[in-house]
Amino acid sequence: MPLIAFYILGAIVALSAVLVVAARNPVHSVLWLICAFFTSAGLLVLIGAEFLAMLLVVVYVGAVAVLFLFVVMMLDVDFVELKQGFQNYVVSGAAIALILFAEIGVIAASIGPGSNATMDPSPGADTNAEAIGAVLYTDYLLLFQLAGLILLIAMIGAIVLTLRGRPRAKRQNIAEQTGRKRKDAVELRDVRPGEGV
Amino acid sequence: METLIQWGGGVWGGIGLAVLQIAAFLLVLLLGIAFLLWMDRKVLAAVMMRKGPNVVGPFGLLQSFADFLKFVLKEIVIPAGANKTVFLLAPILSTTLALVTWAVIPVAPGWVISDLNVGILYIFAISSLGVYGIIMGGWASNSKYPFLGGLRSAAQMVSYEVSIGFVIVTVLLLVGSMNLTDIVNAQAGGFWNWHAFLLTPEKLPLFPVMFAMFVIFFVSALAETNRPPFDLPEAESELVAGYQVEYSSTPFLLLFLGEQVAITLMCALATILFFGGWHAPFPVPIAADLPAWLTSLGSFAIFVVKVVFFFFIFALVRALVPRYRYDQLMRLGWKIFLPTSLVAVIVVSAYVVFLQPGMEA
Amino acid sequence: MNLITDLQNSAPEAALAIIGLAAVLIGAIVGEGSRLLIRTIAVAALAGAAVLAAQQYGSGRLEAFGALYVATPFVAFAKIGLYALAAISLLVSGKSLKEAAVDRYEYPLLILFAALGGGVMLSANSLMTLYLGVETLSLPSYVLAAFRRDHVRSAEAGLKYFVLGALASGLLLYGCSLVYGFTGSASYDVIAEADLSIGLTFGMVLIIIGLAFKASAAPLHVWTPDVYAGAPTPVVTFFATAPKLAAVAVFANVMFSAFNGHETDWSPIIAIIAALSMIIGSLGALTQSSLKRLLAYSSIANVGFALIGLAAGVEVGASAILVYMAIYVVGTLGLFVGLLTIRKDGEPLDTIDDLNGLAKAKPLVAFGMTVLIFSVAGIPPAAGFWGKLAVFQAGLEADLLWLVLVGVVASVISLGYYLRVVWAMMVKPSDSTLDRSDWVEVAAVVGASVAVFPVLTITIQSLLDAAASATLG
Repeated sequence: MPLIAFYILGAIVALSAVLVVAARNPVHSVLWLICAFFTSAGLLVLIGAEFLAMLLVVVYVGAVAVLFLFVVMMLDVDFVELKQGFQNYVVSGAAIALILFAEIGVIAASIGPGSNATMDPSPGADTNAEAIGAVLYTDYLLLFQLAGLILLIAMIGAIVLTLRGRPRAKRQNIAEQTGRKRKDAVELRDVRPGEGV
Repeated sequence: METLIQWGGGVWGGIGLAVLQIAAFLLVLLLGIAFLLWMDRKVLAAVMMRKGPNVVGPFGLLQSFADFLKFVLKEIVIPAGANKTVFLLAPILSTTLALVTWAVIPVAPGWVISDLNVGILYIFAISSLGVYGIIMGGWASNSKYPFLGGLRSAAQMVSYEVSIGFVIVTVLLLVGSMNLTDIVNAQAGGFWNWHAFLLTPEKLPLFPVMFAMFVIFFVSALAETNRPPFDLPEAESELVAGYQVEYSSTPFLLLFLGEQVAITLMCALATILFFGGWHAPFPVPIAADLPAWLTSLGSFAIFVVKVVFFFFIFALVRALVPRYRYDQLMRLGWKIFLPTSLVAVIVVSAYVVFLQPGMEA
Repeated sequence: MNLITDLQNSAPEAALAIIGLAAVLIGAIVGEGSRLLIRTIAVAALAGAAVLAAQQYGSGRLEAFGALYVATPFVAFAKIGLYALAAISLLVSGKSLKEAAVDRYEYPLLILFAALGGGVMLSANSLMTLYLGVETLSLPSYVLAAFRRDHVRSAEAGLKYFVLGALASGLLLYGCSLVYGFTGSASYDVIAEADLSIGLTFGMVLIIIGLAFKASAAPLHVWTPDVYAGAPTPVVTFFATAPKLAAVAVFANVMFSAFNGHETDWSPIIAIIAALSMIIGSLGALTQSSLKRLLAYSSIANVGFALIGLAAGVEVGASAILVYMAIYVVGTLGLFVGLLTIRKDGEPLDTIDDLNGLAKAKPLVAFGMTVLIFSVAGIPPAAGFWGKLAVFQAGLEADLLWLVLVGVVASVISLGYYLRVVWAMMVKPSDSTLDRSDWVEVAAVVGASVAVFPVLTITIQSLLDAAASATLG
């Protein structure tokens, strides 16, 4: 039963991964990518790593891919032009792809079949989440913090490269707005007919 | 051979049982939502001093069913420039995702389709996908207003998800489990154990924090489900109806239904995380010889009452509060809710590590 | 091991990270008004980190965070140079940052974090730490290259650097995953024990490719001239010195500590990379008219020379790499600061012709730069010569005669363009007037030139000894 589920999910992942590249419309590519992410989460559930599966969905499908979709929808990608560029690189690209595939093939051949590695999704703990938490904040504290630092740097970088202070932009000052008194704003005048203010 | 048949029978039997459970659950849920919608409109009407729906059935109770028939019987119009597949996929996706989330919601002791260990994460993950229905619908319509609405809603939902996530983390820290049943059971005994009102002596220092978290959760839930006052994606005065402009007939029904299911889900989630789930506000003495299904039914009734209460508040807010401006919405999410909930996570984890009895680090 | 000892053992990086985060907060709260304050903090923090690294140098092998982080004297030596150079390049860039209108408080922060990343990748004792360190160095570098975002060429430099750098990071990561898969661990110690298998070989080669990119060795050098030419000169002053030293040192460290057992397998690859870098660097520089591109090609060639030491293996080569790179980066620092001083109407000048008549206009700078060029070219009395001698000796000891011959030929070719620069400064007449130089910059040029000749020439023996003792541990 799990094996059948594995093959079904695996086939969907592979198929959608191919369609990510093959789809003509970039938005469809992203949608296939999302499909691939989602089904990969299913694969993780199959091996019992449900915490990782949920994180994959939350982070990649729920946040990263949304932003991808956002960008791709707003960019007006010209496909004819892209396809022309593609032809220039098709030979070298195919060569590199072949080499990488050959590498994988050679390595796979060197391992040979029948490697009976077993997977333990939650070593030394009841649940997946506990197992990850137990090492993430102890053994791998350095790496965890470094990864955080890298994200901070990326944030600083994004701000540096894109934020432009516009000196003439009008901004709302809430404190000023709510602190306004009646006498600052309203003046009562007795206007007689025919005289104006 | 015999074992094979047995095994197969077990599997198919299990699947059959699950299908029956799901069917029963959906029936109750969708019927409930039909009446909740009626309530929504009645509340809005009452605030505006109108009568609201009162023609179909007694007190207009059957109005939702009439609407349902009307939607289903109309013609499906697909705009000429639309991306047909995605256009039709979007409403299906949004309804399906909204419904699928209910699989892990425990409505009474043991009354849950799948008692997942990472239940709360599952809800968080699936509800974060809800944005796709909207953004795909907005894009596939190939029209300006829907597209703008879709983009607005994507930005809005992603923003508020962050603070909802942190609020959920505070609850997880207190309970020490991601299982929704555990979360509910941690609040047993009386309303002073509910996470919104932690009034027991040892947890009193957390009361202001968790109450603030409850408020943030509730407001974020409004924003996450695109309800007024955060209904900018469909702001009728600017975007006509946002991402649903081009939808009609059954696809529109599905989009609408998905939205309502998500709202009800948020009510249920608020109940589970902060209002003690199916537990009564005061300890109720239960006779030991009472059949289990009866106590469960009682618990279910309490749960439903709480959900209806939250839905009532949702409806009241819609009627009473004017719509936010987009920059105000973003400021509220990123500059107020996010820092507050981050601080709360730190405070709660400090409490759990240093003060909570029985949690020696 | 508790957190306190971990932090003590990784003191330079821990201090940098904490001060850097505090400075981010200050900058975010105070805003642009805190530029000078943050630059001062960053310079002080980097100088302090150099001192702490010197302490690490003196205290043998230090482990922290479950041996994910290890500071040996070899990496501590490189870290001293890394932090000191980063501090100096930040110190001298004040005036030119203002002129280029890129004086923002994020600039020193990015330099600080980049240096931190360099320190982490040097101290890595696990492929995971290595990768995260490389990324912590690379990300700020991409941003720094594009720092003058309104300038087309700066933006282009940033984009090129980012796209190619991401590819190299991907290859590095792919290599790491193969090595992990075939050895069962990401720790250098375990990898060093592993038998060579075909997967390990592929992984090793991919890691070499990734690191060669970061060190800008041929054939993965193509980004270097474009990035150097496009990025603002103060940024290039940093790129060409601190990260360059760190990249070559980390290349050596990974090879020597993780793959030391398979030296016969990787040594020929490194030798080819070294030979290609020397030839391509020297020939490429001949035709350049832009000084920054010329220096970029020069740096490619010089990385090639340093890699001779790597190809020679740990016993004879390790100290030669340290000595060569230390002397080279001091010279390069001086040369780039010299470029910073040459401005006209606030715009930095960049072609060799702009140097015409510099000996008359700014005799001190011109003379200093001449000495520095002699050092980088490896002409005898200057310190650069001793550096080259050290790597050639290492090459000869390792029976890499052909590589040394390529090196000698490349040195001779390189004289062609080095002397062209000297000729322009000393002999050609000038036809334009330059802006006044900032005294800090002039002082840095003069200081660097005094360092390479005569100070380092006289004390070369103690430098050699220090490097030798660094590699004993």
